[in-house]
Amino acid sequence: MSSAAQLGAVTRWTGAAMRSRLRRRYRSERIFKLLGLGAVGLSLAFLAFLLLTMLWRGFGGLSLHFLTASDSTDPALAGVWGALKGSFLTIVVTMLLAFPIGVLSAVYLEEFAPRNRLTDVIEVSINNLAAVPSIIFGLLGLAVFLNVMNLPRSAPLVGGMTLALMTMPVIVIAGRNAITSVPPSIRDAALGVGASRMQVVFHHVLPLALPGILTGTIIGMARALGETAPLLMIGMRAFITTPPGGISDAATVLPVQIFLWSDEVSRAFVQKTSAAILVLLVFMLLMNGLAIYLRNRFERRW
Amino acid sequence: MTVTTALVAILLIAAAVGGASYLRAVRLRRQSRLHSLPIYHGVHAVLWSIAPALLVLAAWAPLETRLVDQAVLATPEARALPASPSQRAQILSEARQIAHREIVGGFSPLSRPLAPRILDSERDYGLLGVAAALLAALAGAAFQIYQSRRRAAEFRARASVEKWMNALLLTASLIAIFTTLGIILTLLVESLRFFDLVPPGDFLFGAQWSPPAASQPASSGAFGSIPLFWGTIFIGAIIAMIVAIPLGLMSAIYLTQYANPKLRALLKPLLEILAGVPTVVYGYFAALTIGPAVRSLGLTLGLHASSESALAAGLVMGIMIIPFVSSMADDSIAAVPSAMRDGSLALGATGSETIRQVLLPAALPGVVGGILLAVSRAIGETMIVVMAAGLAANLTANPFASVTTVTVQIVQLLTGDQEFDSAKTLAAFALGLVLFLITLALNLVALTVVRRYREAYE
Repeated sequence: MSSAAQLGAVTRWTGAAMRSRLRRRYRSERIFKLLGLGAVGLSLAFLAFLLLTMLWRGFGGLSLHFLTASDSTDPALAGVWGALKGSFLTIVVTMLLAFPIGVLSAVYLEEFAPRNRLTDVIEVSINNLAAVPSIIFGLLGLAVFLNVMNLPRSAPLVGGMTLALMTMPVIVIAGRNAITSVPPSIRDAALGVGASRMQVVFHHVLPLALPGILTGTIIGMARALGETAPLLMIGMRAFITTPPGGISDAATVLPVQIFLWSDEVSRAFVQKTSAAILVLLVFMLLMNGLAIYLRNRFERRW
Repeated sequence: MTVTTALVAILLIAAAVGGASYLRAVRLRRQSRLHSLPIYHGVHAVLWSIAPALLVLAAWAPLETRLVDQAVLATPEARALPASPSQRAQILSEARQIAHREIVGGFSPLSRPLAPRILDSERDYGLLGVAAALLAALAGAAFQIYQSRRRAAEFRARASVEKWMNALLLTASLIAIFTTLGIILTLLVESLRFFDLVPPGDFLFGAQWSPPAASQPASSGAFGSIPLFWGTIFIGAIIAMIVAIPLGLMSAIYLTQYANPKLRALLKPLLEILAGVPTVVYGYFAALTIGPAVRSLGLTLGLHASSESALAAGLVMGIMIIPFVSSMADDSIAAVPSAMRDGSLALGATGSETIRQVLLPAALPGVVGGILLAVSRAIGETMIVVMAAGLAANLTANPFASVTTVTVQIVQLLTGDQEFDSAKTLAAFALGLVLFLITLALNLVALTVVRRYREAYE
């Protein structure tokens, strides 16, 4: 009886109960919206806090000497050039291996692979590899590249190979997305004028998909550049006072250098570590910016 | 050195044969219609000269090491070597490093006189390998010339080149399978060797983790992995998720449902930066700033607190995961048919009521799948926990105490100097195997959930 009366009061649009009820609902609506904004704001505030902390601690450590010197036990003399060069060599090896292999696999899976068990196994492996923790790749590199193949320890060659195995699935997945987004009419037209399937892919589909593939590749490379754990496994934590001369010399990379300096007891290394982090973040930002630029400039919506 | 010369020579042969084939096809085209463009004739010739030679070189490299070892062991200088094969192998590898000037002297005085012998026989066998590779290149080139001459203008060079390309594409795809197999095999083999030393039951169900010092035998330490897995779950699946799920979910809701397109275009990439920051940076930040703050908080609360704590590592890891949870939630909410949202709004529900009572329940399987993927990523994360969570294997639920994780211990066991076959290094592979299996299972479950759910709405 009373609930029916309440209902009657509520359904009258102008009733006091209805008004207070609506007020409550609108208030919870506003609170919910504020919670959402708060979540975004909190996350971004943390990011700002992190960046400002690093700037505050490390900006004073940035100098020409810091950028051109190599590691040293004396914090006043230590610099990042050796680590930067090691990172550069490692990334070059990674790209030379992962890019062609990734693009060719993507082409095969999207354009040529027959529907059979083998193709399924390849697809499952690639999707799984993309989710395997990076440290497992380090274990693989240690066991296979160092202990079975006897490649030089601590070398950018081995580091690059390990990171290439890790980055390759990322490139394959990005490549497949880019290739599927090329409309079939392009393929049909090329086939129609007598091109072979191989010519269709390499003369028409791949050039059109290239911006998308490059965007994915750069993002994968940026991740490889910031990767630390697998490189620790293969011993790229050597203390090196001269920059590596080639891909088979012992080397260290920037993230590992940061890790090593963060372990130093001397307070002066706090500034060095933060400055090295700033250098690393600048490179990450440049690469990601390049990827976004490529995407906006060249990606076509069909 | 010899390999470089060989490669240059092979390339020269390939260029000469390829060029000749190309020019010949161009000449042929003046007289009759060619089946394939001249460039395919050229490429076909290059492939046939390079591929066999490269195969020979690749096969020769491991063979050469073995032949050199045999030859060196047969020299008079090797008489003095001890009989045990493992000692011999060690001295040989020292001698090889001396010969290549990687080290100045070895542990064993016997290795130095062997170095010049190694250089000698490496030169001899190197030359032999180069000769074989060159022969292969020439044979391949000759075969190609014979093939194309015989059929002249009708020679289907393009079809043949495309077969090579197809093989290349397939090979590139197979690398993914080989990598997966490589991971599984190495982890399995090394883990089985570890389980020879330590019973699997002690490893999986033991509650004490204290690996022996380098010189001690395996039996003097304890390899019970329960504390490590507890630490991993505590940090990665509990603390990090308490941070990441509400923040990630609410961010996704705000960005997809409330923010206007301009704001969204600005905020979303900013949020993605959180996922792009290298983990070593997060780790350092956690150790430098969050760790001490968490410690003083813990001490004010009167709890046992250390500067390396589960809470510091978990908090920072949670923040790293936010964009990941957010984009998974974003996808799942976007997959809910808009008719459901419109229907709810049309009945008079407010935006938040629609989200909480219609969209989220409908998107739940997708969100749960995304969270499982996030957990699997958090569990495998290494640098944050290495730098902020500590090394002490405590079985505690106090978030201010130091705990250790599987990944921390893998790093700990494998860095520092030790021989490869000790129980400690093998334990790292056993931990890696369990970690691999857990993340694999989480990913499979998550992907199945997400796929089922997508199908339900299609």
